[in-house]
Parts: sequence; structure tokens; C-alpha cells
Amino acid sequence: MNPTVLAFETSCDETAVAVVRGTEALSNVLSSQVDLHARFGGVVPEVAARAHVESIRSLTHQALNEAGVHPADLDGIAATVGPGLVGALLVGHSFAKATAWARQLPFVGIDHMEGHLMAPRLQFDDFAPPAIALLASGGHSQIVHVRDWGDYEVLGHTIDDAAGEAFDKLARVMGLGFPGGPAMDAASDGGDPAAVAFPRALPDRPFHFSFSGLKTSVVTYINKAQKSGDLPPLADVAASIQEAIVDVLVNKTFKAVDETGARVVGGGGGVLANRRLRHRFAEEADKRGVQVALPDPVLCTDNAAMIGVAGAHWLSHGRISDWAENVDPGLALT
Amino acid sequence: MKFLAIETATPGASVALVEDATTLAAASRIDRLGHATFLVPAIDFCFHQVGWSPSDLEAVVVDVGPGLYTGIRVGLATAQGLAAAFGIPVVPAVSVDALALEARTGHRTIWTVVDVRRGEFAIARYRPVPGGVVRDSSTELVKPEVLRAQIEARPGQSLVVGDVAQLPEGLLSGLHRAKMAKPRYPYAVALAEVGRGRYERDLYPAPDDVRPLYLREPDVTINWAKIRQEGPWGSG
Repeated sequence: MNPTVLAFETSCDETAVAVVRGTEALSNVLSSQVDLHARFGGVVPEVAARAHVESIRSLTHQALNEAGVHPADLDGIAATVGPGLVGALLVGHSFAKATAWARQLPFVGIDHMEGHLMAPRLQFDDFAPPAIALLASGGHSQIVHVRDWGDYEVLGHTIDDAAGEAFDKLARVMGLGFPGGPAMDAASDGGDPAAVAFPRALPDRPFHFSFSGLKTSVVTYINKAQKSGDLPPLADVAASIQEAIVDVLVNKTFKAVDETGARVVGGGGGVLANRRLRHRFAEEADKRGVQVALPDPVLCTDNAAMIGVAGAHWLSHGRISDWAENVDPGLALT
Repeated sequence: MKFLAIETATPGASVALVEDATTLAAASRIDRLGHATFLVPAIDFCFHQVGWSPSDLEAVVVDVGPGLYTGIRVGLATAQGLAAAFGIPVVPAVSVDALALEARTGHRTIWTVVDVRRGEFAIARYRPVPGGVVRDSSTELVKPEVLRAQIEARPGQSLVVGDVAQLPEGLLSGLHRAKMAKPRYPYAVALAEVGRGRYERDLYPAPDDVRPLYLREPDVTINWAKIRQEGPWGSG
């Protein structure tokens, strides 16, 4: 059974709506608020919630139109239930529940992180458990052992900043602007990732991350280099910083692949859009003969198609949320 | 005309099903944080009681504020979802009007008060007319002292309704021309009446243009230091 699902994602700063049939995205639209938040230097919850409520109705219309699906052809509705910003989550979740009730369709609330875990299914038919997945964004960094759909073991996570947060902070130090990930990726073009050896944190903890110390190292390094007058080109420093983050993410992810014997490795979250990380993923997978299932960048960053594929999965397994379901901003994978 | 009214702008959430001028069903719950868990089950309950199916709806009236931002957005998002499913209008109504309409009296000037946090209250002034009330002021956010000053400056008897329990104790002491009264929170039944008036006179915007009435900009300041910070290689 391949249910056709209208899906909503409003956990942070993207208002996203998609139509998914089984594991195929028929449409995937979003209204990014990046420009809205850039002037504040980060996501402002109240600004995000205001923007969601203004755009969700027209985006829904657009998603159905682009998919060529009439609302009467829908089999169910899905929306992110958490984790995320409470005021932002409530807009998509409320709109979705009301839409489902109005059409008397089943509704299911979806864990945003499980959405990221299932996103590779939109492009890789054989992406199935057991698998290892790296989830890394502005809010999360974790390595997940997908033993089965719905059975997730978080092998490791960050003990301080998320990887995307580290990119934001470091990009700010470098004068590259917000959001930091794409800015650092672009600034690294043509740079030498081995130009500066920034430290790799937590070598003794196989699957955990720490990124907060990197900022201090970078600031100290730049100050020293400026004083002595031998500051390398921007591209070299950016590529070296990027390498320090990517290196630990990739090495620890593939250590998990080795230890679990997983034959496929996936990932999600904005950091998985990073070109250097994707390149390193492919290299490491090749060495081991395992399959990489990293979806296109637009499906790594927050989107509703991933909520739709998870929604289609759970609806076809008979999971239906109660009309009284509330959002859960602190939801964690179990 | 068959319509649903959704009221979630204050800690008191309620819904009502109304046909023309007759209320057929209503449900309410007082819980500041529970709007999202209350709303659809309450709507479902009322529809079952009345025997309507969702597609019978002809319009949705929703309280767009002023009030609690998150509650307003839960109500508006729900109204938008319902209305979009059937291509029917979303009729915005404001919390202070619903309060005044429910409090209507023969002769007193009515002041409505909605707690919008951070020491401020949304207030508006109404004059009773046969069969209802007429708003005589814009809706503004004020400190409690300003409310007292305005009531004092107004000749005649006043009735202060809404979330008066949140006003500082003794705010109106010595002001014998004014008395406080119910309702504390706007109610979907009164909101439906406000909305019906607007619907019948075609006084509502296109659904995409229905917006919450915040009366305040988001409480953030532009962080110039973060934006303008230049790196050692110049600005990005």
C-alpha cells in the first residue's frame, strides 16, 4: 500500500509542505525564512511562528497543485510533532490536524528526527535497516543505529554545540555571515583542508562530539597569525575549519558502520548538505564497500517530503494520532 | 448559514456551532497551555452532537486577538486548515469585541481588558446600543494606570470586563462610577455573533490576508554586532 500523504513541517524556520505517495515526493515546497532571521544573527522563535501562520495556507495550495493531487485523493495527513520551537510546531501541527479532521482523514504526528532518518528513502529504494545514519544540523548532532523503522539506538551525540551551530559561530568569527554552514562551504572553495591543523575533540569517546572548543582554537589561531603577519588565505582557513568538523563527523559515523556491520549509511540535517562531508562520505563508503544513501541537499535540510515519507510509512502500519495530540518540543528519538 | 467559531486568544478556549442566530452546540475549557489538545476534539464533539458533517460548514469565525500569541496562532491555523479544505471564508473577529458583546448592558460604558503579558493590557471602549454595543475607540495596548486614567476621564458609569483579575489590586479603588464584571474571557458564542455580523456585511478579507492582531512587534532587537562583525579578511 502506497498512501498519498499531505505533509507539514514547521519545527524551526522553514514552512514546508509536501505531497508524498509511498516513498515518492510528488511535490515538496517551502518558504524559507533565512533572510528574515539573518538580520538577528539567528532564528527568532516569535518571528518564525509569525511567518509560518502567514504562509502555510498558500503553500498547501501550491503543494497540492504541483503534485497534481486533488485533496479528495489524499489518504492521510502528517505533521512534525517535535522536536522544535513550540510556537512554530503548533502552526503546522494545528493546520494539519484541522485539514485531516475536515476531510475525515487519518492524521499522524511525526518525529522530525525520524523524518530525517527516513528522507533517504525518497531517493534510494533499497535504503532499509539495519543502517547507520548521521543526523547533523543547527540543533542536533547524533549518530543513530537504525535497527528497524521505529527502533533507533542513538550511539552518540554532541555534548555541547551542534555541528551546524559550530559552523554558525565560526562563520561569524570569520565575518562570513549567517547561516554559517553554506557560507563556510562556499568560502572553502579551492582551499587546502590541511593548511591548518585544528584540533579534533573527544578522540577517546567513539561516537560523541564536542564542537565548542573549536571556536577558541580558531580565534586563538587567527589572532596569532594576524600578529605575526602570516595569516593564510581565507579559503585555506575555512577549508581547515570545515575539515575539523567534517573529519570527526565522518570518522565517528564510519566507526559506527564498522562496529555495527551496517551495509548502508545515510544521513540528514542541514550539515549533510556540506559538499566536503558528502565527498568524504563517498570515499569512506567506497573503502568499505557499503552503500551511501545521502539524499540531495534539499532533502537533507528541513523539508516536508521527509515528514511525508515517514507519515506514509506509519499510516500504512496503522499508526494514527489522536485528535488531542499535542506538539512535543523536547521529543527525543528512542 | 452554518458556521463554527473558534476562540483561543486567552486562557479560555471555546468553540461553538451556530446556525444563523442560533447556537446549536458549544464547548469550553480553561487552560492556557491546552488549546492544541482541546480544539479539534471539541470541534469533533460539537459536530457529533449536532449531527453536522464537516462539509456542511459555510464559514469559520476565529478570534485573531489581541491576546496570547501562541493561542491565537493555534486557533487561526486550525481555522485556516478547516476553511481551506472546503474553500470557505475565514472571518476574523477580535477578542475585545466578543467580551463587550457578551457584557452588553443598558447604560454603562463598557471597557474590555485582555491580558497580553509583560504588564500590558489590550483595552477598548464601547457604548451600549439597542441589541448590542458599538466600539468607540481603537484597540490599544496600555499599562494598567493608563486604563484607570481613561476611565476616570470618562464621565458616567463604566463597566470593566475581561481579565480584570490580572489587573493590579486596587487599581480602580475610589472610582465608584466603575465596576468590574464578567465575562473574564471571550467566549466562542459571543465571538460567533461578532463574526456573523461581519460575514453578513461582507466585512472580511481573503483567507490569505487573515492575520493575527498582535499589536506588538516581536520582542527582538537587530543584533548589529553579529551582522556587521568583520572577519580578518573583511566582511562576508
